[in-house]
Amino acid sequence: MVEEVSDFEALEIAVRELSIEKGLFTAEDHRRFTEFAEHIGPTPAARLVAKAWLDPEYKKLCLTDAIKASLAVGVDWLNPTGFGTPSDYTDLRVLEDTPTMHHVVVCTLCSCYPRPILGFQPEWYRTPNYRRRLVRWPRQVLAEFGLSLPAEVEIRVEDSNQKCRFIVMPVRPAGTEGWTEDQLTEIVTRDCLIGVALPRPGMTTNIPLPVHQPAKPAHH
Amino acid sequence: MSQHDRTHHAKIATGKGDPQCFKGMAGPAKFKVGERVRIKDLPDVFYTRCQVYTRGAIGEVAVVTHESPAPEDEAWGHVDHSEWFYIVRFKQKDLWPEYPAAFANDTLQTEFSERWLEAV
Repeated sequence: MVEEVSDFEALEIAVRELSIEKGLFTAEDHRRFTEFAEHIGPTPAARLVAKAWLDPEYKKLCLTDAIKASLAVGVDWLNPTGFGTPSDYTDLRVLEDTPTMHHVVVCTLCSCYPRPILGFQPEWYRTPNYRRRLVRWPRQVLAEFGLSLPAEVEIRVEDSNQKCRFIVMPVRPAGTEGWTEDQLTEIVTRDCLIGVALPRPGMTTNIPLPVHQPAKPAHH
Repeated sequence: MSQHDRTHHAKIATGKGDPQCFKGMAGPAKFKVGERVRIKDLPDVFYTRCQVYTRGAIGEVAVVTHESPAPEDEAWGHVDHSEWFYIVRFKQKDLWPEYPAAFANDTLQTEFSERWLEAV
């Protein structure tokens, strides 16, 4: 109900207003930082993967120094403070999938996520449902996202519980031969970069919720 | 009332980042990539980032990542001492008793500060 405010919302308002009153930061600082965080995207990480697919040297850089590789897609992890953003830190790692290994990322403790290059985490990533279950029942949880992999493919769960942050570099799918960087970027969705989806030609959005078509649809 | 320097982190980390600002503070790393380690079940009364599901498990060091104060200290502002951090890889069947034998290749990896690891 819109008239109700949760305890956490009340706490946030109280801490923010008190901080402004005490001079820790200004309302303008807060607005600028909020807008910076909320406008990351669209998915610079997708372009990082597309570039890596096209350029073996860049791919090597992604795997050895992903913070430096982020600069090539316009992301400086030190921004906007000069020393990084709270809870995001400045140690990005890229997890390279192979035909026999698929990575998927979670933070069981909270919801740590590579926000400077991927934007805000989706709500489902923050839920206890995902965080508690993915580490123990990864194949079942991935199946709920529509992703079923054969037993020969090793599923490697990355529980990002410290300062390192992770994105998945999926295997470049078949059917993309001769594609431009822009075309490849379009199919590397946020869900592919977390590891709950695989990139496919023609799939340019995150996983749609399955919809059961009505037997007797309404006529308008 | 003690004065707390709220600009301390900005002073040490601007232009470098975090955990880069702690580089060189931990001395030599105790463990190497490929080494088998067991996760210790240390007391964690107040705060920890070492997941209970890993305690007592044996895995392999996959990556030596960086130096940083352990979160158990950093959470209280105790940042004078840094440790090396390690990504340790486990076979899922070693973490969960019911993990299906059909998926024996599946693994999980997560990160620990040095205090949590002992050689096997």
